[in-house]
Order: sequence, then C-alpha cells, then structure tokens
Amino acid sequence: MMTFVEELLLLTSDENGELVPMQDDRYECAMAGAALMDLAFADRIDTDLQMLVVSDHTPTGDSMLDRILAKIAYRRQAVDTRRWIRDLSEDEALTIQESALDGLVERGILKHQEKKFPWTSRSQRYVMVDGKARNELSLRIENVLISGDIPDPRDIALISLLDACDILPDVFPGKWLERCHPRLEQLRKMDLIGREVAGAIADVDRTIILALRARSTRFRKLLLALSVMGALATAATLLSPRVPVPDRFGPTFFELLWFDGLWQQWSGYALLGLSGAGFMTATLRKWRPAARMGGSKWWRFTHVVIGICCALVLFVHTGFRMGENLNAALMLSYLVMLMFGALAGISINGASQLRRIGVSPKPLYFLMKLHVIALYPLPALLIIHILIVYMY
Amino acid sequence: MSRKAIFWILCTTGTLLAVAITAVWMFLGGDRGMLVIGKSTDGHHQIMTTCETCHAAPVFADAAAAERALNQTCRNCHEEELKAAGDSHSRKKFRGPRMAAYRERLDARRCTACHIEHRPEITRAGAVTVAMDFCAACHSEGDQDVRKVRSSHAGLTFNTCASGGCHNYHDNRALYEDFLVRRATQPRVAPLPVHSLSARYRTRQLPEKAALRRRDAIAPESALAEQAVLNQWATSGHAAGGVNCAGCHAPDAAQGAPRAEVEARWVDAPRMRVCEGCHKMEARTFSRGRHGMRGHPLIAPPRDPGRRLEVLGLGGILPEGIAAWLADPVPPTRMTVAESRLPMRADAANGTLNCGTCHRPHAVDIKRAAVQACASCHDDTHTRAYFESTHYGLWQAELAGEAPPGGGVSCATCHLVKIERRGKIMTNHNQNDNLRPNEKMIRSVCLDCHGLGFALDSLADTGLVARNFRGKPAVHVKSIEWAKRRAAAAEGNKGR
Repeated sequence: MMTFVEELLLLTSDENGELVPMQDDRYECAMAGAALMDLAFADRIDTDLQMLVVSDHTPTGDSMLDRILAKIAYRRQAVDTRRWIRDLSEDEALTIQESALDGLVERGILKHQEKKFPWTSRSQRYVMVDGKARNELSLRIENVLISGDIPDPRDIALISLLDACDILPDVFPGKWLERCHPRLEQLRKMDLIGREVAGAIADVDRTIILALRARSTRFRKLLLALSVMGALATAATLLSPRVPVPDRFGPTFFELLWFDGLWQQWSGYALLGLSGAGFMTATLRKWRPAARMGGSKWWRFTHVVIGICCALVLFVHTGFRMGENLNAALMLSYLVMLMFGALAGISINGASQLRRIGVSPKPLYFLMKLHVIALYPLPALLIIHILIVYMY
Repeated sequence: MSRKAIFWILCTTGTLLAVAITAVWMFLGGDRGMLVIGKSTDGHHQIMTTCETCHAAPVFADAAAAERALNQTCRNCHEEELKAAGDSHSRKKFRGPRMAAYRERLDARRCTACHIEHRPEITRAGAVTVAMDFCAACHSEGDQDVRKVRSSHAGLTFNTCASGGCHNYHDNRALYEDFLVRRATQPRVAPLPVHSLSARYRTRQLPEKAALRRRDAIAPESALAEQAVLNQWATSGHAAGGVNCAGCHAPDAAQGAPRAEVEARWVDAPRMRVCEGCHKMEARTFSRGRHGMRGHPLIAPPRDPGRRLEVLGLGGILPEGIAAWLADPVPPTRMTVAESRLPMRADAANGTLNCGTCHRPHAVDIKRAAVQACASCHDDTHTRAYFESTHYGLWQAELAGEAPPGGGVSCATCHLVKIERRGKIMTNHNQNDNLRPNEKMIRSVCLDCHGLGFALDSLADTGLVARNFRGKPAVHVKSIEWAKRRAAAAEGNKGR
C-alpha cells in the first residue's frame, strides 16, 4: 500500500506525468501533514491539545518515517502538532518528497530521468511509467467525492489533507469540484476515521488536519497582505503624478534625490541590488541546498518583501517619474514585472478568498508566467540605462 | 535540448544582442533618438541632430572631463554674445579664491550649474534649471545681502529678482543703475519715433553700379522664357545692384562669362552658400539664430564608424558596406516649419528655413521679408495681434510714405534688428540676440522710440506682449524710482 506522502505526490503530478515542483508552502505543509498521518495510521504517534508524542517506538520500516519518528521521540521538550507541522514543513519537506519519490520509483510507478544540457547543470525529472496508478487513485478520490457511500478512512484522511492545505482545486480543477461542495462539507463533518479505526487515531488525524489548516491559512494570509501591498505600491508608481521638487534655491532633499547624479547613482544601484536579490530568491529556492534552508515559504516571503522594497526604492529613484524613450521602456517593463508578481502573489495566496467571490484562481497562475516573461527585457534595458548614464 | 534550455539561450542571446546594438549606436553610429533621456530645451531642439555637438568629450572620458567639454560647447556658441552683453556674472568673477564660498553654493563658472539639458521638468524660463530665487545663493548673506545693503530691497523675496523686470543674470545692459538714472525722465514716446538704424538703412546710398535691365539678363533660353521671373528680377535689388542671373545660377562661371559658359554651368536651384558668398554677415548671424542654427559651423559632423573603431584599435575590421550601413544619418542642415515648437500655420508645415523662405529668390523684397514672411509661418497670439497693433499701423504708414523711413515697426524691426558693423548697416539674422530675456531688446530697439520706464513696464507685462503692445502696460517696474532715490541719497551724502 502506498503511503499518504506517495499518494499526495501522485495526485499533485500533472497530466503529462511530470511532478509538480514544490514551490508552495501549501505543498510543504501537506508533505509534513501526510508524513504525520502515515505515522498516526501506523499507531506510532499520539496527540492531545498540548503535545504530539511517540506512542510506539518500533520502527515502521520506512526510512523517512522512522527518521521523523526518531526526531519526535528525541526532542527534549514536547511540542504540539502545529509546531511539528511548522518544523517538518520547513526542514523536512524536501527530504520527505525525495524519499517518497524514491518509493514511487521502487514501486515502478515513476521513472527517474536525468538530462544534461551543454553549459547547464544536470536536470532531474520524475515521469510516470504509464499513469495507471495515478488514474486509479484519482478515480478513487473522485468516487468518494461524488458518491454518497461511506468512504474508506484513509480516503477521508487524504481528502481532508488536500482540503486543509487548499490543494484540492489544483488536483481537480474546474467547475466540477464546486458541485462537490456539499459532499465535501459532509466529509469535513464526518467522524474522520469512523468506527473501523481506533478513536485515538481519529483524534491524531483531526489534530493534524486542524494544525495544517491553521498553519497553511495564517502564512498565506500574510503573503496575501504583502502581495496586496506590492500591487498597491506598483499601481501608485504607475498612476501617481510625479512628486514635484520645491521651487526654492538650495539643495533640497527631493531635488538631490531625483536630480543629483551621485544620489541617483546610489538609489539606482540599491534598486539594481534589490532586483538582483529578488531574482536570486526566486531562483535559489529551487536549488536543493538553498531550499533546505528554512523551506520554500521563507524564500517566497523574502521574495515578496524584496518586491515591495523594489517598489519603494523605485520611488526613491524616480519620484514617480516615468522618464522618456528607453528610460520609459525600462520603467514600464519594471513596473509590469512588479505588478504581475504582486498579482500572482494575490492569486496564489488568496486562492480560497478568490474562489469565495467566484473567481477561479487557476487562470491567475498564468500571472506567474507573465511575471517571469516581463523579466526578460529588463537586463538589456538596465545595462543600456547604465551605459547611457555613464556615456552622456 | 529541452524547451527550457532553448528559451534561456534565446533570452541570453537577445539580451546580449540588444546591448551590443545599443553599444554600436552609442559608439559607432546610427540614430540615437531612443537614448535621449528627456526633451531638450526650446533653444536647442533645433540642433538635437547629433549628440556630439554638445557631448564633445571623448567616449571614455571621466565625468569631470565630460562636464568640462560640455561647458566648452556652451561657450563655443554663447560666449560671443555674453561678451557683447558685458556679462554681469562672467566666469572670471568666480575664479578667484575669494569666491570659493560662493562657488560651493552655486559654481557659476560652469554653465551647467544653472542650465542642464534634457530636464524639462525643472527647466524654467530662459532654460534655467535651478529655482528662480537662485540670486539668494550669493546675495542673501554678509555684505552681499541686498536686502540690507539696499533699503529699497528690504523685505523683497529673491524669486522676483529676475522675473520682475529689474535684473538679468547675464545681460543688464539696459538695467544697470546709472543707465536707469540717466533715462529716468524720458517720455513714454519720443518726439520723433524713428528706429535710427532702420532709417539709415532704408535711406542708404547703394554703391554705384550699372543697374541691369531685362535685356541684360544672361541665362539659358528656357530660363529667359519665364517672363514673370524675369520681370521680378529686373525690378529687384539684385538687378539694381548689378547681379546678373549667372551670379546666383552659375556661381562657378567667371564674371562676365559668355552665355555658352553660363549655360554649361547653370544650376536651376542655387544652394544657400551662393547667398552666403555675398551676404556673409547675414549668413553668419542666420546660422547662429533660431531659424538657421542647424547650419552653425560647430554642429558636429556625422560620426565615421571606421574612425571610431580606430580609437579602439579595431580600425579596418569593418567591411565598407557595413561601415556605410552603420554611419550616422546625415543631420538635416535646415529646419522645417513642422519641427518648430511654437504655434505655426498648418499650411506652412512643409516649409524649409533658408534664405529663400523669407526672401523670394527673384523678387528680393525686404518689406515682404519683414512682416508677411514671418506671418506666413508663425501663428501665435503675439503674431496675430501684430496686425491690430499700433506698430503695424506705423509700418503701413511707412510703406505708404506717410511716415519717415524707420518710423514703422515690422516684425524684423524688433526681432531681426539692424546692426552696424564697420560703418555698414545690416540685418542681424540671429533673433536670439535680443529675444530673451526681452529686456535685451530695450537698447537695440525700444529706446529709439520709447522712454526706458515705458519700455520696462511694457516688456514686463506678459499680457501686453501677447497683445503685441496694444494698450497700456498694467505692470510697473519700480527699478527707475529706486535707482533715482539711491542716486539722490548718494548725491546728498556727497554734498554733506
């Protein structure tokens, strides 16, 4: 039987059989939750309101689960489930994923591919062997969501996990899921594990789901707020009239800021540095050693904060002046890039809120691609901008 | 190769290509309009055809050298007029160590301290890019504090120094104290309001030369067949001055050459340099004025990519075809009316500014050139109001012989003013010489007919200027009263 982590990975793989890269703290939370659920279903952990503890130290036989079990067992101070979800999602999500991928390869469901391009590093991919296992799993979950039968406790647990982390709309996109809302509501209220499994496991499972829901929601709200701030700052730069300089002789602060060569250089290079840092945070989080540091959510958080700082430093550099000719092209390109980034942040982190007001967030993921596309002309425009400044 | 890899390779190549193309534009040749960071000032947009005219420093010069070169180019064109105006704040004044403190506030040795190009947002009247209270930099402290040194200035703010009609930074020829006192009692209008140089010009004796008539014309048969043109020439100043058709249409033919040689060297549309051959001073001033500054001798020539590569030690690597393709577009030597930033008549948009635009090539009618030629292009309120003004009435009276020569006021009387050089009177075609600040016009034009006080008040009243001086000034410049009071006080002190 596949573990929860393996099932989760299979469900989140795309239709072409490629695994969706883990770029989102929702997936990291889901990985941590799935691992804990695996331990709960193996009767190895127990929870109460205050703490999550190991109830049985016997190894499960799965190296990854045993490592997490040992980690929980040897922690000096017992902490609650929410804290474990946080720690595991930040520190172990990538390991959990890799271990599950290896498991799926061993089961013959996935195939490991490695490619090497000229001048580039090696690229690793996992692709489905035939997609049969995924289709069966997907069909099984669909049946649970459509039919009124009493479902298998594992299926309820998996659906609850996907629902708590807001991944269900990604797995079953489109209007179909909306029609399943009454059933989903029913499943949410259903005694999770039912009569067939001991009540203790049900409690553990419920605690994990609650912790997941809380954890996932809180951080996403923070990112949503920051993305909205970023969008507003960018819109202000696009739409606000330029800030005038005082018509008074003497080096006024604003005049220095926007018309003095030296100050312009400082603010310009600060903006360049920030933009570079923003780019690095977006690319480094996909690099395994970096991704292991704090989990992808902190990289995303840093990326969003840098984006807001870019909008602010852009104001310091320009005072809402759009410039002319190539400078105008640079400014517009930069603002478009910032705006699409902010909108992508809103669409991803505010997916549930958007769904509530009837906007399907799936097409909004396209904004992320636009954010990246808008980035392409920037290096050339920036280099030319700097060349112009120094040449003339 | 995956799509991702191809995409990244394309992006990197695109970026490098874009930067390389721009670097080629910047260094070797090609149109660089896209690189301009902001609109140029109204006084320089005509010569925005090549960057090197102003940015004259070598390509990899440091910032200080680049700025020095930039300032030198300002002086190349403006130093002469500043010298003629007796520049009140010449660079010399700010050179000594005593001026170090003032230089820290405003380094007036550099033109670019107050006039920076491509900064439309902070460009004020007169292409000034510092706040208009810039006088405060030096005249607000110590023994230079005018509010303490001059009782009349107590309580005044510095933003009215240059805008109130009292002072200019450079040209104070008509505004300095002694001049104000000397002219304090002048009436509003002189008893005999005549522009003296214009009067002398119109009544001048032409050199005695054999005036030519229709039958004296030497030109190909086809040209002689154009009767209207022939008639125009026969009644023109050129014919009266003995200038035959060949003088302009066959400038390479020897004087008095036979018809056969004239026909062989005949040019249907002579170039402007033919006019320049005789009218040197007019052509010189034209090339310094707003109409003709594209023909200024110091406009940078187009860049030669081959020579620029030689600077980099890469001379001769470019095949000729590519070098020719890269070469700068040849800048237009004449402005078109459509390029003007002033309101212009739509039907004149295609007109090019050369001698023939105002002076019809055959009927050389300076009366037409003085008014109708201007109004055939300019369509601003000041120009339109001219035809309702007293000045225009006087001009018509002069043309009709009802007013003395020089008694009329045409557009050219004020804007293309007559000047005297080595005893010869000619028209200064550089209208910038007395255009802005408009007090520059007082001595060369206004004072021949008007009192100084009236002229100061009129020129300070922007509404009256727009109405082309129809009515009375609603603004009063107090500088004459203040100067008189100060002179009287000084006189009193001397008596004691």
